[in-house]
Amino acid sequence: MAEKIGSVMVVGGGVAGIQASLDLADSGFKVYLLDKSSSIGGVMAELDKTFPTNDCSMCILAPKLVATGRHPNISLITNAELVDLKGQAGNFLVKFRKRSRYVDEERCNGCGLCSQKCPVEALDTFNEGLSNRSAIYVEYPQAVPLKYIIDREKCIGCGTCEEVCKAKAIAYDQQDTETTLSVGSIILAPGFEPFDARVKSELGYGKFPNVVTSIEFERILSASGPYGGLALRPSDGEVPRKLAFIQCVGSRDAQINRDYCSAACCMYGIKEAIIAKEHVPVALDCTLFYMDIRAHGKEFDAYYNRAQDEFGIRFVRSRVANITEDPKTNNLHLYYVEEEEPTTEEFDMVVLSVGMQPPAEASKLANIFGIELNGQKFCQTRMFSPVETSRPGVFVCGAFSSPKDIPESVAQASGAAAKAMSIIASERGKEIVAKEYPPERDVSQEEPRIGVFVCHCGINISGTVSVPEVVDFATKLPSVVYGEANLYTCSQDTQGMIKEKIQEHNLNRVIVASCTPRTHEALFRETVRESGLNPYLFEMANIRDQCSWVHVHQPKEATEKAKDLIRSVVAKARLLKPLRRPVINVTPTGLVIGGGVSGMTAALELANQGFDVHLVERTKNLGGHLREIRYTLEGENPREHLDSLVTQVLENGRIHVYLDSEVAEVNGFVGNFKSKINSESGEKEVEHGVVIVATGAKEYVPTEYLYGNAPGVVTQRELEEMLFNGAFKAESVVMIQCVGARTRERPNCARICCGQAIKNALRIKETSPETDVYVLYKDVRSYGFKEKYYRKAASKGVIFVNYNDDRKPEVSSDGGKLKVLFWEPIIKEEITLEPDTVVLSAAVSPNPDSKRVSEMLKVPLTKDGFFLEAHMKLRPVDFQTDGVFLCGMAHSPKFIDESICQACAAAARASTILSKKTLEMEGIIADVDEDLCSGCRICEHLCPYSAIEMNEKQTKVTAHVLEALCKGCGVCGTACPTKAITLGHFTTGEILAQVKAALVEEVRA
Amino acid sequence: MSEESDFEPKIIGFLCNWCSYAGADLAGVSRIQYPPNIRIIRVMCSGRVDPAFILEAFKNGADGVLVAGCHLPSDCHYISGNFKASRRIALLQRLLQDLGIEPQRLRLEWVSASEGDKFATIVREMVEQLKKLGPNPLTKDGGEI
Amino acid sequence: MLRPKIIGFVCNWSKPPEIQTSEPSGFEGHPKIHMIQVMCVGRIDPVIVLDAFVRGADGVLMVGCPSPDCHYVEGNTQAKFKVKMLKKLLALAGIKPDRLLLDWAHMTDVESFVKIVDNFRNLIIAMGQSPLNGGDSSDDFLLNLRAAKNTASDFRLRVLTGREGELTQAESVYGETIPANDFDRISELLTRMEFIRHKIHLLAIQEPVSVKQLAERIKEKPSFVLCQIVEMRRRGMVTLDEIKGTTPLYKGLEV
Repeated sequence: MAEKIGSVMVVGGGVAGIQASLDLADSGFKVYLLDKSSSIGGVMAELDKTFPTNDCSMCILAPKLVATGRHPNISLITNAELVDLKGQAGNFLVKFRKRSRYVDEERCNGCGLCSQKCPVEALDTFNEGLSNRSAIYVEYPQAVPLKYIIDREKCIGCGTCEEVCKAKAIAYDQQDTETTLSVGSIILAPGFEPFDARVKSELGYGKFPNVVTSIEFERILSASGPYGGLALRPSDGEVPRKLAFIQCVGSRDAQINRDYCSAACCMYGIKEAIIAKEHVPVALDCTLFYMDIRAHGKEFDAYYNRAQDEFGIRFVRSRVANITEDPKTNNLHLYYVEEEEPTTEEFDMVVLSVGMQPPAEASKLANIFGIELNGQKFCQTRMFSPVETSRPGVFVCGAFSSPKDIPESVAQASGAAAKAMSIIASERGKEIVAKEYPPERDVSQEEPRIGVFVCHCGINISGTVSVPEVVDFATKLPSVVYGEANLYTCSQDTQGMIKEKIQEHNLNRVIVASCTPRTHEALFRETVRESGLNPYLFEMANIRDQCSWVHVHQPKEATEKAKDLIRSVVAKARLLKPLRRPVINVTPTGLVIGGGVSGMTAALELANQGFDVHLVERTKNLGGHLREIRYTLEGENPREHLDSLVTQVLENGRIHVYLDSEVAEVNGFVGNFKSKINSESGEKEVEHGVVIVATGAKEYVPTEYLYGNAPGVVTQRELEEMLFNGAFKAESVVMIQCVGARTRERPNCARICCGQAIKNALRIKETSPETDVYVLYKDVRSYGFKEKYYRKAASKGVIFVNYNDDRKPEVSSDGGKLKVLFWEPIIKEEITLEPDTVVLSAAVSPNPDSKRVSEMLKVPLTKDGFFLEAHMKLRPVDFQTDGVFLCGMAHSPKFIDESICQACAAAARASTILSKKTLEMEGIIADVDEDLCSGCRICEHLCPYSAIEMNEKQTKVTAHVLEALCKGCGVCGTACPTKAITLGHFTTGEILAQVKAALVEEVRA
Repeated sequence: MSEESDFEPKIIGFLCNWCSYAGADLAGVSRIQYPPNIRIIRVMCSGRVDPAFILEAFKNGADGVLVAGCHLPSDCHYISGNFKASRRIALLQRLLQDLGIEPQRLRLEWVSASEGDKFATIVREMVEQLKKLGPNPLTKDGGEI
Repeated sequence: MLRPKIIGFVCNWSKPPEIQTSEPSGFEGHPKIHMIQVMCVGRIDPVIVLDAFVRGADGVLMVGCPSPDCHYVEGNTQAKFKVKMLKKLLALAGIKPDRLLLDWAHMTDVESFVKIVDNFRNLIIAMGQSPLNGGDSSDDFLLNLRAAKNTASDFRLRVLTGREGELTQAESVYGETIPANDFDRISELLTRMEFIRHKIHLLAIQEPVSVKQLAERIKEKPSFVLCQIVEMRRRGMVTLDEIKGTTPLYKGLEV
């Protein structure tokens, strides 16, 4: 067996690839993140807002982009493609080709002058061709890496960029290079491509200017997009008044060989309709044409309801057959059938909700990696191994395995990271280099000696702001003992020079006046630290992004502003104090609450990573909900997998299983928890570094439709048991969907019941084809590849009948004979059936124990009673409280494969903590002056992280900051009536000095 | 009037690190031009903006103060700091009136990381409005504070 | 038309010494040709030529040394490329490109020189006066010419014009030669787009306008105008002024 290698290659730098890379890198593995395009970010970077919270997509993604770009354990390989793969799990040889950028990445600092001066225009593909860019460009302003690239197709070779580039980064003779790397495992996250709407020629895309795709519409809605965030008609730039969204374009369409559902389009369609209404100044009518609204995710139905009730969006259940254009007005006529009546309706603009298709390179990837694709060319995975490809050591996440939304992609990405690291767990930490720093100099007794470094940024700053004047000004400010100008302060050689100047002039504070701290502060802090100063003795003045670039035509005023900004920052710097990053020890052990498929999987993953685990299950058996699942829609044998999982858990020496037990108490914080486990044999105290909540959920016990009062009325779970035992016989069956879900009390969808109903209906048809099966539904939510089983059921004669809340089915029992009365919308008649069995698709209820667990762990629940994660989009398995994670049905209803993904994800997230001996926390945290504290508790209640506890010392109660929990927002300090709390690096004194100095000239001391 | 048209108001802007400061950066990256009257001070969260900071600005002659944070309800990096800011600013505006400072001189805005244009527009509007209002009443008469 | 207004730019090394150039007399027999002496025709900035038209010139004549006799090696070649671009701009502005002529003369050959001037003057007389100097739509022509002038001062177009010889006759930075046809296509497109944008810019500076109004005014499709507005917003040439009903109005920014 070849030696294992502690590094991983991640293919694809969208949100899934980024998440997988960060988890791996934070757990001690070297990551090579390869992307075919010139920057990472993928489709999420193009989006305006995200459902169901309407968060700004770039706001939440950008910090992850920056973290990935500057992570010491992640190497970005952009503009590259895979060529060859050799070897086996644990030791692969990957060969890739990096295409020439014609720009030296080491030298380019992203100033963008080249792009401004380039004489050639090309269509901006990031803006979906709705605007132009130069032949030398970055994909988007926040691109990581911020390195320009020449579009060789468009470039005419005039040489202008080379002439204007002060960093000498242009490299016209740069060649493609081929490189081979050794890695232990591989994660594929190449994402998806939007369906090409031209294929559906009847919808007029490409012919009629006012028919746009949903991805184009995202750019249109984006404040940084072509239209500045205003919805406009491409034909004439007018604000539309009547907008139509057409769902399922390129999805659920067997005619064009796309028989799957793209799973995310209903939600993004609704989102785009809501945002469009918010983004136009006039009343905008939005109509969404759909087949079924598939709002099957967490809290999605609540969003759908708001779209109808609050925003007045009209939903029409119909497939639009054809679109024509009025050539005079460029308005569009939509032909569709509503309630069996052919209808034509005119709209100003139409958005096609295009589906997801596998990336163009899917077949090539499959060949290189030797992995199996499914019939639709997505990567083949299995119900019980949802992140594994058919080749050991090669894992998959994101939309490449099946169409999915962002949180599912993120969870699957973390899950794939867990699997990728477990096969090389023994090599953790071996491919990464720990950095050594010189000891920190004690500056507490020194007077401030400030050095100011002012950046020309090529001519980005100096073209507007008079840099020599600014340097001269800065050097004359009190406490400033050194000042100089640099062509690029961020360049490698300048870093060395700054260190020299710190020594030479015995500087104890450093200021860089250049671009934005958001991208460059970390770099300069590092430099300062390398020279033996505390990294917090550094400040930046933003004289480019917030000065020279925005006052291009006012050089005099811009220069004055730059001076004010520097004077303000100097005033702050004088007061800066070194900050300590608190270091806490980590107990490398996990506690998993719940022994179902999620809990067992999470425990096993942690154990495979080399960590001890306490697995606590309330009942006498491991297996949870999975014990009741007899077969799956996809045809796998759940019992076989369950038995194997239980055996693996029980036989694993690192997993301590507590059956018939309960976690009674959890104390402490990330890295250092102490908990009590109660069981019949008594109470046991365990120490652990993380907690994973996998407490699952329960089938709702219906009170509707005579359940419990008539013997023929059963739930899907009960039906499944009967079918499995061969005890089921019926001539006629009626299934009723959404029992206890999507109601006023429980507005959200239970996600799994449509799949369950289809599964059981098919099973009935298999054993007894003559049995009539009716499914009464609100929307059939067979998302993703489950769609094909819906088709199969329909083709086997299962009859699906739509109902809505105004006309719910009625079930009665007449002398033991069941009767179901319902409205048939196609023939427009009431129908009464007399089935032998009525099957209720009962919702999923949260575990009744959830409330207790949430209070014990101080983590929140949703209104529905499921656990609420840290962020619905990007942190699906984290809690806001560090060190506490969740997975499976405790989070929300989900299928087995989804629970397994989340369980692996929770393990990966946990291992970013457990893999470290100590955790270094952020230095910018709150600090309480106990002498001033009056113990009023205002801060305790305000803190969103519960990072403040009240301590009783002798006679006085005072607030105390739990360093491990504080995130440094400073809200507590602002509210403190006695000014006892201050936030490091943003102290009240520092900010007041900054305010004053920004406004008033100082007198030199 | 001629004096007023020459008047260039001084504005202090407190911008939260995660959304609004990023939005102001994006205005720069997109080269959206706005008047050079604002001096930006970065804070981690709009909830960190102490009324004392704002009063200090007015005391030292600022003609306007902008506080900008992440959009309500859920964009705040620190869960709910923006809510706290909104309550605090509303209270402070009342207090300013008592001090003889027009409450319009203090503005609270939500600016996301992709709203460079919005940030520039806000600054433009503020400058225009402050020019109409004239100098900070605390400095108007004596010029001294 | 008796007295066409013609501006002549003539190079120091091709003008026969007998010809007087002192302003504004022109030379004998042709009192209305304003002859301006320059060191080289390559020095004539396209903006100057367009400025002459903006100020009401009926024709502009440029006379330099024939290849390979340019005193400054390739000033005459540069002039050729500039005139090519200028003729494109004149055509776009609705001015007959023949109103601009670049020709070659020798210091020693007075006769040919006089002939060039005579022929050009006759041509201009035959063409009549510049549309700017009469006719109903002289405002339109003025707008067009001013847009053309602004276009000629655009950095991108100047770079492209300045590199034409290098790129089509020698080699690009990649060591390739661009076929003259391809280059023409690229520069034609760029010239046209920049011209239209500058025209929109001038209109939007006068007063805030909508895409539809612009389209009507410059006789282009609204969808095309919108694309230009998008690009112009990106470059800071226009900004959204207000939205009237469903109609966004854009105003031009001073650049």
